[in-house]
Amino acid sequence: MWVEKYRPRSLKSMVNQKDIVERLKSFAEARNIPHCIFAGPPGTGKTTAALCLAHDLYGEAYREHLMELNASDERGINVVRQTVKTFARVRTLGEIPFKILILDEADNMTSDAQQALRRTMERFTGTCRLILIANYSGKIIEPIQSRCAPFRFTYLPREDQDAYLRHISESEKVQLEAEGLNAIYEVCGGDLRRAINTLQAAASLGKPISNEIVYSVIGRANPLDVREMIQLAMNGNFIGARDKLREMIVKYGVAGSDIIRQIHRELFRMRDIPELWKVKLADAVGEIDYRLISGADEEVQLSALLARFIEAGITMRRSG
Amino acid sequence: MYASWTVRHKPKTLGEIIGNPQAIADLVSWLRSWEQGIPKKRAALLYGPPGIGKTVTVEALASDWSLELVEKNASDYRTEEAVRTFAGLASQYGTLFGKKRLVLFDELDGLTGREDRGGVGAIIKVVKQARCPIVLIANNAYNPRLSSLRFYCLLIQFKKPNVRSVAKRLRQICQREGIEPEEEALKFIAQRSQGDVRSAINDLQALAQGKQQLTYEDVSWLAYRDRKDAIFNVLRLIFYSKSCDAAKSAVDMADVDHNMLFEWIYENMPYHLRDLEDLARAMESLATADLYRSRIRQTRNWKLTRYVVDFMTAGVAVAREKTEPAGFVPLRFPERIKTLSRTKKERQTKSKIGWKIKRRCHISAAEAITEFLPYLRVIFENNAGMASGIAKWLELDDAMVEYLAGTKKQAKAIVKAD
Repeated sequence: MWVEKYRPRSLKSMVNQKDIVERLKSFAEARNIPHCIFAGPPGTGKTTAALCLAHDLYGEAYREHLMELNASDERGINVVRQTVKTFARVRTLGEIPFKILILDEADNMTSDAQQALRRTMERFTGTCRLILIANYSGKIIEPIQSRCAPFRFTYLPREDQDAYLRHISESEKVQLEAEGLNAIYEVCGGDLRRAINTLQAAASLGKPISNEIVYSVIGRANPLDVREMIQLAMNGNFIGARDKLREMIVKYGVAGSDIIRQIHRELFRMRDIPELWKVKLADAVGEIDYRLISGADEEVQLSALLARFIEAGITMRRSG
Repeated sequence: MYASWTVRHKPKTLGEIIGNPQAIADLVSWLRSWEQGIPKKRAALLYGPPGIGKTVTVEALASDWSLELVEKNASDYRTEEAVRTFAGLASQYGTLFGKKRLVLFDELDGLTGREDRGGVGAIIKVVKQARCPIVLIANNAYNPRLSSLRFYCLLIQFKKPNVRSVAKRLRQICQREGIEPEEEALKFIAQRSQGDVRSAINDLQALAQGKQQLTYEDVSWLAYRDRKDAIFNVLRLIFYSKSCDAAKSAVDMADVDHNMLFEWIYENMPYHLRDLEDLARAMESLATADLYRSRIRQTRNWKLTRYVVDFMTAGVAVAREKTEPAGFVPLRFPERIKTLSRTKKERQTKSKIGWKIKRRCHISAAEAITEFLPYLRVIFENNAGMASGIAKWLELDDAMVEYLAGTKKQAKAIVKAD
């Protein structure tokens, strides 16, 4: 996959997040790093930066000094207690006395697990440095934050993303049109991982990459066709709208939270809904969103939301 | 040609019979004792629930040992006189043609008091004087009518085979019939038959004959075959009641649990409540019921169940203001139950792919599914060459490739592409 093929190996080849990269380079030169938190939206180079840093510190064999853990796959207090401790406590051989533990999606860790991490960080600082990766640093408990150097990653600026995609398409001998590039930025908005995946999927169609190709790939990859679903509901076709909903949930595995976010966005874009109704419906959307968060059944609740759209359609038609 | 599968796939030898190894061993050793002269018990009484292979065992045994099987069952009259004509046969072990003989009285439970007058007494007489082995078969050996007979017999109990061995037998039959069954489907049929192999095979034939595949979806209907009418009426009561009490009483009528009933209501409601405002209100009530379900899950307080019931029955009933009761509306099996079982395997494959991606791409398996899978799907559907490289790099197995490729044909193209 191109995402891996073109992932920078060294800090030197990272194109964005310049301030951060400079600071990390100075760590690598000093051959010492503090515990770090890399926070920021997806696809902005957090994991890449951590891997590059390790590479620049230890050289080609950096994997021997590194462990990656994913909090969302193996979260919980036991993982921290056992895996992390075992790894952290043993000193490595080599000129650098510490190892690196990358804890990805750390904001998904339970607060108990984070508490357990706190002591480990202190006790084994000599032998192990942590890099916590998170979308939101706010979800990481205070005591851990205060022990770490924070780095805030931001979405890639348009020029950086474009340059990188052009570089890839040249190496892969794929024809990338300016419109296509536009479309990718429009859809992925500075999330480089998603952008590269989109590019590769578009390239797999074997045609020059135009905006049409990009949109058709996005359509096929994320068939979040909420507009049509809402339209069906507003016209009073509940069964049709429910079938659409089911298609998204069952066939494409779209999460309920994604569907509701999309509905919310689409609601305010729709021209044929009176302004007053947009606000009324937003309340309904919010209520259903809240219910989903509290653990209710996605399909049933979203069906209820569709029913609200049906009611809105009826009242709107009546009032002309 | 139509032939009953229970006949067509009847075991021909003892080795093919599933279950009851102890009973079969006992029967065989009793039969063997006849080689050393007439044993103390001249008859063996095989008993156990129907459809588990008692008769088939005797038939297979006779065939394995090349015995001449003389058989009488409930379809014959069993008056004293009828049995006595039979007795002559039992009076000698060897036949004219050198074959040894085995006499079988099947379906003894079928001996009715009046018509088979004196039947039991006659059978006892035959047993007492028998010079060849006699096998008796009954469902219930402790039927009082058989009490006097029991004394002269070696009792051999047949037990129900377990679900796994029934499913195994069904799989063999599918194989011979050229049907590709889903494991879950066979298990379902086996479970439902409660050890009655014969009825399981009949069900299998009814559901699978003429098909090339048998899916869980095909068989899940089975569970509701008998209950369909009941569900139908329950739903009508909920959709068209005018009073809360009547709608709520539906829950007791339904012999499915609350969650299942919820699914039936959710699936069928839009086909009944055709006035859109009625439907919208009913849907909101159903969503409220669901909300209470999630509260129950969170608090583990099952007392809240009564509110689930209120909103999914009474709440739905009072939502109807304008809709007139519909004529015949076909009952729909809950789509979500169907897909849930159908997609179970798919979901497993998906999560396995997630772990494969995790190994390579420094991302959690859960996130890999949302961030990578959709794009992989596009690539695998459209570009076999590129897909083949990725499949190798990620070390995907055939099932995973097929999942991403969408069709068997494309999956083959991808495998060939390298």
